Order: sequence, then C-alpha cells, then structure tokens
Amino acid sequence: MSYLQILNERGEVNEALLKGIDLKGEDFFKMYKYMLTTRFLDGWLMRLQRMGKAAIHAPNEGQEAIAVGTSYAAKPEDWFFPVYRELGILITKGVKIKDIINRWIANKDDILKGHEFALYGFKEFHIVPGTTPVAAHIPAAVGFAHAAKIKKDKIVVLVYFGDGATSKGDFHEAMNWAGVFKLPVFFICQNNQYAISLPATKQTASETFAIKGVAYGIKNMRVDGNDILAVYKSAKEAIESARNYEPVFIEYVTYRLGSHTTSDDPKRYRSEDEVNFWRSKDPIIRFKSFLISQGILTEEEDKTLRDEIQKNIEEEVKKAIELPPPPIEAIFKDVYSDMPWHLKEEMEAVVKEYKENQGE
Amino acid sequence: MPVLSLAEALNNALKEQMRKDDRIVVLGEDVGRRGGVFLITEGLIDEFGPERVIDTPLSEAAIFGVAAGMAIYGLKPIAEVQFFDFAFGGFDQIVSQIAKLRYRSGGQFKVPMILRGPVAGGIRGGMYHSQSPESYYIHTAGLKVIVPAFPYDAKGLLISSIKADDPIIFMEPKSIYRTIKQEVPEGEYTIPIGEARVVREGDDVLFISYGAMVHRALQAADQLSNENISVEVIDLRTLLPLDIQTILKSVRKIGRVIIIHEAPKTLGFGAEISALIAEKAIDFLKGPILRITGQDTPFPLAHEHYYLPTVKRIVNAAKYLINY
Amino acid sequence: MVEKQLILPDIGEGISEGEIIRWLVKEGDYVKQFQPIVEVLTVKVNVEIPSPYNGKITKILAKEKEVVRVGTPIALIEVEGVIEEKVKERKAEALPQPTVQSPEQKQAKPTTEILATPAVRRLARELGVDLSLVKGTGPGGRITEDDVRNFAKVQQTVEKAKVVIKEREERIPISGIRRLIAEKMSLANTKAAMVTHMDETDVTELVKIREILKDEAEKSGIKLTYLPFIIKAVIYALKKYPKFNAGIDDDKKELVIKKYYNIGIATATDQGLIVPVIKDADTKNLFELAKEIETLSEKARQGKLSIEEVTGSSFSITNVGPLGGTYATPILNYPDVAILGVLKIKKRPWVVGDKIEIRDIMTLALTFDHRVIDGAEAAIFMNEIISILEKPYKLFAL
Repeated sequence: MSYLQILNERGEVNEALLKGIDLKGEDFFKMYKYMLTTRFLDGWLMRLQRMGKAAIHAPNEGQEAIAVGTSYAAKPEDWFFPVYRELGILITKGVKIKDIINRWIANKDDILKGHEFALYGFKEFHIVPGTTPVAAHIPAAVGFAHAAKIKKDKIVVLVYFGDGATSKGDFHEAMNWAGVFKLPVFFICQNNQYAISLPATKQTASETFAIKGVAYGIKNMRVDGNDILAVYKSAKEAIESARNYEPVFIEYVTYRLGSHTTSDDPKRYRSEDEVNFWRSKDPIIRFKSFLISQGILTEEEDKTLRDEIQKNIEEEVKKAIELPPPPIEAIFKDVYSDMPWHLKEEMEAVVKEYKENQGE
Repeated sequence: MPVLSLAEALNNALKEQMRKDDRIVVLGEDVGRRGGVFLITEGLIDEFGPERVIDTPLSEAAIFGVAAGMAIYGLKPIAEVQFFDFAFGGFDQIVSQIAKLRYRSGGQFKVPMILRGPVAGGIRGGMYHSQSPESYYIHTAGLKVIVPAFPYDAKGLLISSIKADDPIIFMEPKSIYRTIKQEVPEGEYTIPIGEARVVREGDDVLFISYGAMVHRALQAADQLSNENISVEVIDLRTLLPLDIQTILKSVRKIGRVIIIHEAPKTLGFGAEISALIAEKAIDFLKGPILRITGQDTPFPLAHEHYYLPTVKRIVNAAKYLINY
Repeated sequence: MVEKQLILPDIGEGISEGEIIRWLVKEGDYVKQFQPIVEVLTVKVNVEIPSPYNGKITKILAKEKEVVRVGTPIALIEVEGVIEEKVKERKAEALPQPTVQSPEQKQAKPTTEILATPAVRRLARELGVDLSLVKGTGPGGRITEDDVRNFAKVQQTVEKAKVVIKEREERIPISGIRRLIAEKMSLANTKAAMVTHMDETDVTELVKIREILKDEAEKSGIKLTYLPFIIKAVIYALKKYPKFNAGIDDDKKELVIKKYYNIGIATATDQGLIVPVIKDADTKNLFELAKEIETLSEKARQGKLSIEEVTGSSFSITNVGPLGGTYATPILNYPDVAILGVLKIKKRPWVVGDKIEIRDIMTLALTFDHRVIDGAEAAIFMNEIISILEKPYKLFAL
C-alpha cells in the first residue's frame, strides 16, 4: 500500500510533489495560522475543562493537519460531518472563536443551546453535528450525499471518523451503500493510533485501514496525516473524485498526542517514549520550518503571530466565562417542531421550581 | 368513491403525494421491483424511477441513517423497514441520530422523514414477524408514533406524516392490511397528528385501543350491547403525542376503563395511559383501570390466539367493572 | 479587594473527589487567571487545576495528600476589584428534593378497611360524609354510591337536631393567655400547700406621708400610689427574713433563696391577671418604683410585655382591693413561696390608747407555701411589714 508524504518530520520537502500543489505562499501561511489557532484554542478548551467551565474536552493535539488540510481543500458548497476531534474544520471555515468557546461552555450564547457536550454543528458553515455513539453519524453523511446526487447538486460530503470507528457496523453499512450508489463522499479516517486505550494494531487484522475501501469498491489511499501538504494534495484529489461520483476513502496516519478526553489518563497504557517519538513528527513544527525555509515566515513574525492568537483567544475566554447558562426553558426546546402538551406541562413545573430556587 | 383496504390506501397516498412533491423518495429492501413484501409500494418504481424508489442493500442501519441524511439535506424520505421486528438492527440510528438531531443541533437541523413498516401479530408470523415494539419509540423523545386502524385514517395520517417536520414512526398493523375495506376519497386530505377518534359512543364502559385491536374492541362492544352494556371505543391513531383530552372526556363521563393492545403488558403503552388517567381523573373512576394485552413472553407461534387479547377476555373485563 | 474561595471544580465524568498531589504555588504568591496552581489526582486522571482569578493566594486550605470532595474550598485568594458571584446556580444543584406532582390529599384518614372507589370517595367528600361511619352494601363490603347518598340523608336529620341544642348554650373556648393563667393557677394549687395569714394595719401615718409626697411626684409626672411604700416595707422584711424571698424547685426538691429582689406586681388586664416584675426593686427609690409600676402596668394592659418582664420574680404583691373586699386568699405566683395581698384602705373606728378614733385601716393577706414556711414564721414576717407600714419613718433609721 502506498503512503503519501511530501513534507517529512525534519521539514524536508519533496520538490516534485510540491510543484503539483496549487497553493501560494499566502495559502501556506493561512493553513499554518489555522493549525496554530487550533492548537492554542485546543489548549484553552482543556484549561476551561480543568476549571470546571466546560464539561469535557477531547484534545486535538497532534492532529491539526488533517482537519485543516482537508477543509482547506474543500469548496464552499461542500458539507462536513465531523465528530469531536476536528476543531481545525471550524477554524478553517471561519467559525468565530467566541462561538466555539460558548459552545464548549454551553452558556446562553451556545448555538446548541446547551443540549450536548463535545459535539458541534454550525449550519451556516455546513457543519452537521456528529454523535457520541461511534460511527453513528456516517450513514447520515452518506444519505446527505445520496440526496445531493438525486438532486444533481454537485456537492461533496466530507465525513470524519477514527480508527476505532472502522470496527462498527454503521461504518461498513455506510461504505457499502456509498460504493453501490457511487455517491459523492470523501471518507476521512484519522488513524491516530488509539481508540481510547486500544492500539490501532489491535483494532483490526487488516494490514491497514485504507485497505478496507477495497471491500466496498471504493478508491483508497494512505497518507501521512501530520504532513499538511500531503493532506491537502490527497484531499484535493479525493474531493474532485467524489464530486464525479467516485467516493474515496483515505487513511490519514497521525498520533493522538493528548488523552482521549479530559477523563482519560494515557499514562496508564502508553509510554512517555512513544509520545515523545511522535512529538518529533508534530505537524506544526515541520510546517513552520517549511515556511521559514520558503521565506514565507520569519521567527519574529511567528512569535508575533502566536502572541496575537493567544491574546485573541484569552480575551474571548474571559468574556465567555462570565456569561450565564442558557435559560431553563431551553432544555425543552427543539425536541419536536412544536411542543406537545406533555412537554408544556413538564416545562411549566420545572420553570416554577427553577424560579423558586432563584428566588432564594 | 373507491373502497380500499389499508394497504391500498397507503399505496394510493404514496402515489398521489410523490406526484405532487418531487422531494419524496421511497427506500427500503425490495420496495422497488418487488413493490415491497406487502405490496405497499407496488407500481411506484414504474412511475417514479429507480432514483426515487430505491432497492437498498440489506442494511437497516444504512437505510435509516441514509434516510436521515436525505432528510437533513431537504428531501422527504420514506424509509420502509420490512418488518419492524428487524428495525433493531438500525435502532441506534433511530435513537442516537434521527430522534436527537434537532435537539442536538440546537434546532439548526431537522429530520423530517418517515420510517414505516408492518407491525403486530395475528398472521401466524411467529417470533420475528409479529412484535408490537411501539413502546421503545414512544419512550424516545424526538419521535412521533402513529398507528392507523382504518384505511381512511391510514391515508390521511400518512399524508400528514409526509407534511410533518418531525421524524415519524408509522406502524401498520399487518393483520388488517387487507381485511378491512372502507371508502377512501381520491385526492389529498389530512388527519391531524395527535388526534384520537371516538369510533363508537357509549356510557357504561370505555375501551381505549389502537391498531388491529380497535376492531377486536368493537367486536367485544357488539357482544356486550346484546347484554345491555353500552361501550364507548376510542381509537388513539397517534400514540405520541397522545390525545389526552379525548381520553379524559370519556373517562369523566364513564368511569370504567379498559385499555387493549397487542404489545406485552409490562411497560406497554397501556401502562402510560393508566398512569395519566390515574393522575388526571382518579375521582371519576368507578373501578380499577384494566389492561388487556399481549403476554410478557416473546411472541409464540403456537396458541397465538391466547397470546393476544381475546374478545372473551375483553368482555369479561367489562362485566367485572360493571359489577365492581 | 475581595477574598474568595477557590473550590475543587467539577471536572466531570462522575468524579466526586480528588487527592491533592502537589501545590504549584504557595501562600503569598500572586497568580494569574488560568495559571495552573495545583495538581490533583482523581480516580481517572492526574490533573492540573488553573486559577479562575488574578490575585494573591492568601491561604492554602487543603494540604498535600489530603482527599477533598468536589465543591470544597482548597485555598483562599485575594482578588482585585469587585466580581459578582453567581452562587445561585450551585445552590440550585444542592437542593435534592424531587417535585411531587400529585394533588393535595383531601382525605384525612385513609384506612385500608374502607372499601370505596375514587368516584364514591369524591361523592362522599361533596356530601360531607365520613366514609368510616358508612356500612358498605357492595361486593366485599364495598361502599356504593347509594350507601353514601342514604347516609347523607340520615346525617342531615341529625344535624338539624344538634342546632336546636346549641342555641341554649354558649361555648367560649379557653385559649391564649387565659389558658396559660388557668394552667399556672392550677399548678400552684396542686404543688404548693397554700395557707393565708391575714392581719390589719393602721396606716394613718402612711396616708399622711403619701398625701404630702403625692404632689411632689405629680410635678415629675409620676402617679404615686401606696404600692411603692408597700414594696419598701416588704423589701425591708425580706432582707430580715430571706426565706420569704425564695422559690421552690420541685424537681430538685430545693428551696432557692434569691439574693436579688425582684418584686412581681400582679396586674389586672382584659386578658386576665398578669404579673410583671420590677427587677432589683431594692436599688430603686420611691419615685422610681412608682414610675416603673406605671410603665409595666400600661404595657401589661396593652399586651406588650416581654418574657423578660414577666419572669424571675422572688416575691410578689397583689393589689386585691381597689374594688373593695375585706379579706382575700391570693394564690401563690408559683414557684415563689410567698405572695402579699393588699386590700383597700378603709376608714374604721379603731382603738388608739384607750379611746376610739377614726383611723385608716389596711388589711393584708400573706399566702405562703406551708411546705417550707410555718405559720409562726409567717406571722413574724407579716409583723415586720406591718411595723414599717404603721410607722413609715422607721425606714430612715433602719
């Protein structure tokens, strides 16, 4: 199975392949900025959880290149079906930092009205919220693409999941369907080597994850997920293929530098050595040296950029943590298109109890 | 006016609506060339083509999930599950995705789709072709659950479901697909979701039922009228949201209540209705609220007659309440 | 500057407590908002907790190796500026009561023996029928609708009869103060062995003195009655015979001789007899006593006395006589051992020397608890009082 890499961990670039990428210096700079923002925002969201402000956080650390690279390659009309380790999509598509933070804290400005944690959906940016049951979002992604095909709407659906998801029935049923009906779907598997504590080598007996595409007649590829240039190039090609009704399945090889979520302690099941080994393959480090060597970025500019990003995020965090929670009625909204009598009854009783408590 | 069976009324509704609204897509196992194993979708593929009438791989999770995705996109998918007994294979899609997406997205996205298919027993279908699993769906916030008992209602309710903005679980009692015929108007008409119907008026005992058991309830009512016991029968039509007002009105008038359904007794919908009546109308009860239901076992092949509510059992229960 | 508590935050997934592993700051350190300040070990993970505020750590409350529950303060931080605390959310979470949605119960005593359907029970309520009195004629002894209706008819006839009887009697409940007074009177009667020693005293001199002092008092806005004089006389006697300035502790079976002189003055009010107490009456002069008597009496009549003002007496005086009467047998202000009743001063023919003169005569009635005081003691005590009242100028000498 081939393995695409353009920029290695030492920052060395394959010039031939680089030429084939249709991006300019300012694009590279943007992608770098998006990765940095993702990395820093990710750190802040961790901190918010440790302060008891956010209920949970699944760190993205180490996987920024995949979310940023693939979403950068998509067109504005395309749609995203992520889960919870694709923060980079939101940054790349332009979701406001404050909206992201409000979502995590689930305060009164939360676009999801405090209805769930860890997931996110922004209709304006074509992002549909995933599900916590693993792989359960994939069939809907395929269905969305199927509807688009029926309507001759030339959009592509990018659906994201991890190595663990490829063991779920929903994954197989959805891949099968996409292959049979030749749907405009780009299946993105983030193989970050772990499904909580289970190493990828114990998740499947297949040689690779990418090879699973063969079973469903779907084109597949294996790519270095920490090399944003390879991610971008492969994604660009996959998206165009999918747009022409040839779905693609790509396994992006990366590493989950952080814990599974804030409730997990990875020290219980993996060694510091292993983590440090993968730290040397950090997508941001190598891309930074690439940018510097290409003359797109200087050390000073980098420092300024980092400080600016951190400052912006910190400002938004400070504002966001002062906001109150959503109104109590919010938990009764959006169950149905209307509110049936039994929900009205329950809502009235809860609102009354809430007001009595507030009055104390 | 044409006289149609339940199956024919559904087929009629699908045809008329698919002509009017090109967003409607029908998908399921064998729904296209075969016309569905109960022929509910017969003739659709000839008129609307394989893009809108889709023969799917054998994969409930995919059928339900894909339908959800289509609904999110903006189509009006009507997914068929061959028997609701098989829906459990895609149950996670129903509970985790379809029922929750509107809530989970803070109202940004919705899933206006129908999941329809045959339920219930009475056809010697055995364990996996006879179940009445409505409780699982009623208990899942975000879904609406409909069970028609008459051809006229079936068409009107299906059309309302197509126009609805919420995911609908539309359960068709297979034992009456062909055995009941009724005048069913051509053209579009709707029956409001969440509205029950008093199909027979009476003063002495109240029967509350849905699906095929409405007809059994009516049989029992006929028998009782020969003994001067006057029975009122309510057909719920929509299970969730429940038409509590119609129920309470009759309870206050009559005071003797029997709920009849095929689903097993424990945590069957009768339990919820009993609790609501006890909560809101206890002062009007002249005796205990009784439930005549299926047994708390998997659905057996032999002695199906005794597994299900019998007319005799219903009649005896009514007399018990009269003499209480 | 506000001092705030830093609490162990809820870091989710059902974690309810954590062990402090290591403080990353110490008392006196300034910390920035979001700076990690402590390392905590929970069942699932080792976490660093960031500070929610800018400020100075003034006190570390939880020590290393200590196990702390979520929500417990682990340190104090002095924070700049005024920050609004939204404590209410947390408060709401702390209340565990589930809302009970059932309607109120109207039946006072549901017994398992009463068989009646809800509809029949409602009918019974509407007709005012007590189901426990109704005999059921339905299956299994169940009370039917007819049973209830029949009973209601019978009940109506009985009710009519009762109304007639009521009109020949009037019933007034014994409640409130009256009830308390009744209880106290009863208590004195049951516990003590009450005996009353009576005597007459020639208070002509006293009357003259009071006449003179009365005008003086009026100038200061004080109404001077005989009571202040009597109090002075009584206190003189009490000092000589302390046994009368006492109470009985029935539980401990002890005579409690008081070293203070709190004189209770029994006062008639609309509510009944109330006994306000003049505290440390021995430290007050005549006019002060008079004023306090006025104040307390007014308060008593208005029902505005505090508990303080009606307790703690060591001896009591009751002015029985303003309305007349010759003799009296006052009841003890339990648990005091003695009470002095004073009757109206009357002009009477009296033997003075060998002649008969018209003199002012006051009758006194001393009720005492014979369990601890004998008749002879009472007589001697009374004589002491009388000696002062008859020759008030003696107080100068003594």
